[in-house]
Amino acid sequence: MEGKVIVITSGKGGVGKTTATAAIGAALALEGKQVAVVDMDIGLRNLDVVMGLENRIVFTIVDAVKGKCKVKQAAIKDRRIENLHLIPASQSDNKDVLNPDDMVQFCKELRKEFDFVLLDCPAGIERGFENSVAPADEAVLICTPEISSVRDADRVIGLLHARSITPKLIVNRIVPEMVASGDMLSHEDVVEVLSIDLLGLVPMDTQVIISTNTGVPLVLQKDSEAGLAFRRIAMRLNGQIDLPIEIPQTLKSFWKRVGLKIGIGK
Amino acid sequence: MGNNNGMDTHIQDKAQVRLKGGKDGFRVTLDPTLPKDYVEGELTRLFNQLKHLAFNSRVVLDVGKTEGHQEIIESLSLFLKNKYNVESVSVPQREHNMNEDKPQKLDMSNTWHQHHTDALVIAGRVRSGQKIIARKHLVILGDVNPGSELIAGGDILIMGNLSGTALAGQPDNEEAIILAIGFKPIQIQIGGVIAAGLPVTSVPALEFAHVENGGIVVEDYIKTNPFGRLTWPVVR
Repeated sequence: MEGKVIVITSGKGGVGKTTATAAIGAALALEGKQVAVVDMDIGLRNLDVVMGLENRIVFTIVDAVKGKCKVKQAAIKDRRIENLHLIPASQSDNKDVLNPDDMVQFCKELRKEFDFVLLDCPAGIERGFENSVAPADEAVLICTPEISSVRDADRVIGLLHARSITPKLIVNRIVPEMVASGDMLSHEDVVEVLSIDLLGLVPMDTQVIISTNTGVPLVLQKDSEAGLAFRRIAMRLNGQIDLPIEIPQTLKSFWKRVGLKIGIGK
Repeated sequence: MGNNNGMDTHIQDKAQVRLKGGKDGFRVTLDPTLPKDYVEGELTRLFNQLKHLAFNSRVVLDVGKTEGHQEIIESLSLFLKNKYNVESVSVPQREHNMNEDKPQKLDMSNTWHQHHTDALVIAGRVRSGQKIIARKHLVILGDVNPGSELIAGGDILIMGNLSGTALAGQPDNEEAIILAIGFKPIQIQIGGVIAAGLPVTSVPALEFAHVENGGIVVEDYIKTNPFGRLTWPVVR
């Protein structure tokens, strides 16, 4: 069976696309799937750093697309998580070296080798966005509970709709205390404006910063709430669509946490 | 009031100057004994409501008995021709006047049957970055998100939240209105008049914007009922 190509996008920068790509990719690999995460941010690559694989880059996506190397050579295998592969971006080129047709062709090859291909879309709606969206079967839209992020996400939904893709929404960086006090948009507010299906809610978590800086996958950190949220998102992407959506809570009761652990069932 | 005495009926009506749309144009019914200034004022009010429709239209001026009122008919037809560019102003045919009510009703329903709609009706959510342009009226059944733009030659009616930009009556129809259930636009424009940074009402209410004395005014639609005072439905 051919694999699925999923683009992870947001429109606005800095909302957590790269973190989400790394975390969902790792979580899907832990589910036993063959996963490739692809950094599409050519010229400003980050995903390799977040995944702690930057010192192992030999070939990049540009080399692979242009036929200078094989797909296998460009895909870096993660040593901690089996089945997880990274295809890094090139740092020295710019987005114009690739075009959407190249990407469609390239992803055709990737589909044969992997169950899931996650494309980490760059911010913006220009060439990098077009390259990332062209080969995608599905889209995951990352949005933070901020008006600016919601506005950009709304625009991206329109652009994806023009390509017959209806994205699924992840609301990232929810601070339940601020939502409760009315200082932050709730996920209901965001969904009301965007009116697309919700894939998951991710709470604000300082573990994310630690994970990004150390290159240790977020989903491997046992006490990371964001990591747990991303694992649940990965399960939904992997076909468990009835898995209930956990709303980040202020009350961290003992039994709640036990329930979460059982829910994950690992 | 007797039907056979049509002219007396009108005199006793509340609106002493009345405007009706018909198959061949507009019919103005008025009492010739009224002061000229008052009649002109009422005509201005009525014709302002159908400004662009009045252009090149045929107007029938019904003052009851024509005899003895030639002067006022002439002065009013000059007034209408100059101010609203109507094509012609004439007096009604005699037999038409006799049983006025019945044929008028038939005429009206015929007008609407033959009236091809100028409204663009759209269902769904209008998202950021999307732009909808309507030649005349625009009806949106759904929400209009911030960052989107609606442009219409006539009215904009939104059965949902308006949070984007709405430009009605483009380029120069200041009679147009913008109506929405949740009225919180980023910016609105009616004809050439622009309003931005409108105060936001927290409770969803049916509100509409229109031009009044060269500025945009937003009012509660139910309370104001702006078209309630039209005695007869007219095509916008």
